Amino acid sequence: MPELFFLPDLAAAASQLPWTALLLLAAALAGEAVQRWLRLPRLLGWIAVGGALGPHGLDLLDRVSLAALRPVLDVAVGLVLFELGERVDLSWLRRNPWLLATSLLEAGLAFGAMFVVLLAVDTAPLLAAVAAAIGISTAPAVVLTVTRELRAQGQVSERALLLTALNTAYAFVAVSVLLAWLAREYAGDWRAIVGHPVYLIFGSLALAGAFAAVTLGLLRVLGRRRDAQFLCMVALIALAVWTAGALKLPVALTLLAYGGLVRVFDRRRVYVSLDFGRVGTILLILLFAITGANTDWSLLATGAVAGGLLVAARIAGKAAGVLSLAPLARMPVRKASLLALTLTPMSGVAVVLLHETSALYPSFGPALAAIVISAIAMLELLGPLLLQFALTRAGETDDEAR
Amino acid sequence: MERLEFTKSAPLSMGVELELQLVSRRDCDLTRAASDLLAQLAKRPHPGEIKPEITESMIEVSTGVHTGYETLVAELREIRAALLAVAESLNVGVAGGGAHPFQHWSQRRIMDAARMKHLSQLYGYLAKQFTVFGQHVHIGCPDGDDALYLLHAMSRYLPHLIALSGSSPYYQGVDTAFDSSRLNAVFAFPLSGRAPFVQTWDDFNAYYDKMRRAGIVASMKDFYWDIRPKPEYGTIEIRVFDTPLTVDRAAALAAYAQALARWLFVERPHRVTEDVYLAYTYNRFQACRFGLEGEFIEPAAGTRRSIGEEILATFEPLGVHARELGAEAALSEIEAIVRGGNDARWMRERYADSQSLPDLVWRQVERFREGR
Repeated sequence: MPELFFLPDLAAAASQLPWTALLLLAAALAGEAVQRWLRLPRLLGWIAVGGALGPHGLDLLDRVSLAALRPVLDVAVGLVLFELGERVDLSWLRRNPWLLATSLLEAGLAFGAMFVVLLAVDTAPLLAAVAAAIGISTAPAVVLTVTRELRAQGQVSERALLLTALNTAYAFVAVSVLLAWLAREYAGDWRAIVGHPVYLIFGSLALAGAFAAVTLGLLRVLGRRRDAQFLCMVALIALAVWTAGALKLPVALTLLAYGGLVRVFDRRRVYVSLDFGRVGTILLILLFAITGANTDWSLLATGAVAGGLLVAARIAGKAAGVLSLAPLARMPVRKASLLALTLTPMSGVAVVLLHETSALYPSFGPALAAIVISAIAMLELLGPLLLQFALTRAGETDDEAR
Repeated sequence: MERLEFTKSAPLSMGVELELQLVSRRDCDLTRAASDLLAQLAKRPHPGEIKPEITESMIEVSTGVHTGYETLVAELREIRAALLAVAESLNVGVAGGGAHPFQHWSQRRIMDAARMKHLSQLYGYLAKQFTVFGQHVHIGCPDGDDALYLLHAMSRYLPHLIALSGSSPYYQGVDTAFDSSRLNAVFAFPLSGRAPFVQTWDDFNAYYDKMRRAGIVASMKDFYWDIRPKPEYGTIEIRVFDTPLTVDRAAALAAYAQALARWLFVERPHRVTEDVYLAYTYNRFQACRFGLEGEFIEPAAGTRRSIGEEILATFEPLGVHARELGAEAALSEIEAIVRGGNDARWMRERYADSQSLPDLVWRQVERFREGR
């Protein structure tokens, strides 16, 4: 039909459909719907759309497209962890040392409780320890997104962010060390056993330190203009993500430390507090949608009993840790209970850790994966709800933001 | 008729209330912290009183009754220490200053108390825009008639007090060109300005009764005057000061007002007539806008000179009274302000240095803590 040459060839075009744009559109609409009609955090809508379109759902977004989005996911995780690290005021721990004690205790008790549950369902001790270590971390992206969406401010919100940053760092360190032990059982080369965790932990810290120093040097030249700093930071964070990946260092730990060190090194206060605004939101939507797509929701039922126990143990451990030191850390018991609830979310970072683990050590068997993924799936949904409930009940949210 | 009784109080005793800013140590914006802070402060004994205010980003501290500057400044320092001990453990910054330099009024959260809710419903955005921070100074008076005399006599010196305390040059992110932009936020309220020219407590009661019967006010709290009588304390309350950047300066300003009051009571240097108010709003504007460089007009004598010179001219008659009250140190601090510039000038200089309002707030937090 040469005379109709101007009509489109739909069949050919369909193969190049901009899936990312459609995913973004669907997720944005779902997020608004969830917020407007259910009065729940938008990110639940983003996760749901990801889950529905993903390989475990309608499979419109297949594994190949997901793999293609991996770099976006990495930058999104990088932005979130950088911002979280930058928000953590380490000098607060000096002024209120009981907060550090609270943080260590909640992480330790949550680890212990999950470890016991996993042993009880016949998991090998080392594997149980790895899984429990993954569970130490509260989902940074969820805590940041929900506190921002509700414009939450106050002790519960600030401490939730602080404890999240700290327990995420603990989780990465613990997993690195445990994986080395795991390697001893399977590989047996002592250099790997000692060398690997040392490389992962100190390598990320060194890389973060280098990036922080360069960043502050650049910002000193650039001045305190917000726009200029914004562009500069997005580019530097993307570079840091790439460098960490190329050096086989944990991206999340590196970026968390990068943010934290920028704040620590910045004695002249040249870094203006940025939030990554609309660009950040786009990345977050994709992050949650991809997390939803990567979650195998069918395992939610398979591992439900053990997963449920795991979730309960985790919440109990964190609550015990936060509550027992509350008076010393200067927080009334009521607010401390709410703070304990804010630590429930678990998602993106845990999935990343799980993938890294099973990629390195395939013996991290399907049975354990089912339990852990089931727990993650529950907390992906339950976490944001409890977080929103806690912040609202603490009276720290902005009515107009909801 | 419901009569306001003027409680007797020790003449020339004084007390100070300071409204303070609560800021995030991360981005230096105002933050929601008052409830958390007050909950912790309630558990430990501390001097003075620390109370909630209209928004979650503000608290008010107040001292007991003092006869001299030395004990006043000592108590203010103790209150500051107690407050900072808790604030630091909660990671909250505390700052002086009459207004937060860059907060946006639409983001302020109103505290959950009934009166605050009522104000915010009645005044709408004015209630939120009223996130400004002032110092109130109470001066004790023997009776109601004397209180009204002092109120009118003192009004001539309000520009002095405004210019000395001006510390709100930046508001909503811009340089307002005013030294005290805070008072502009107060003017927006219908019952702001000056008290009516009545000279006896009986006449004041008659006026108050009319206003109450007409349904214009429910209590004395509804008057937002620059100076108002506070019958339950037996004082007049001077409300034009911006909260200074340090508690030491707050004490010096109170002591200066006390010395003025003693001079006005003992020597009665001016005849108080309604003419006191001829140049009132003009001089007041000059003080808000230009601070110590503002122009002061004295209509009776037909003189005009700068407010700074006017203040220096008060030192001569005040000297003996300041000595009697033990306020010489306060007077030399006031002189240092006139010669070295007020807090508004200090803030503009810091901003010129860094070109960053968050950085300015950070320095205000440091200055409040260090007290210098």
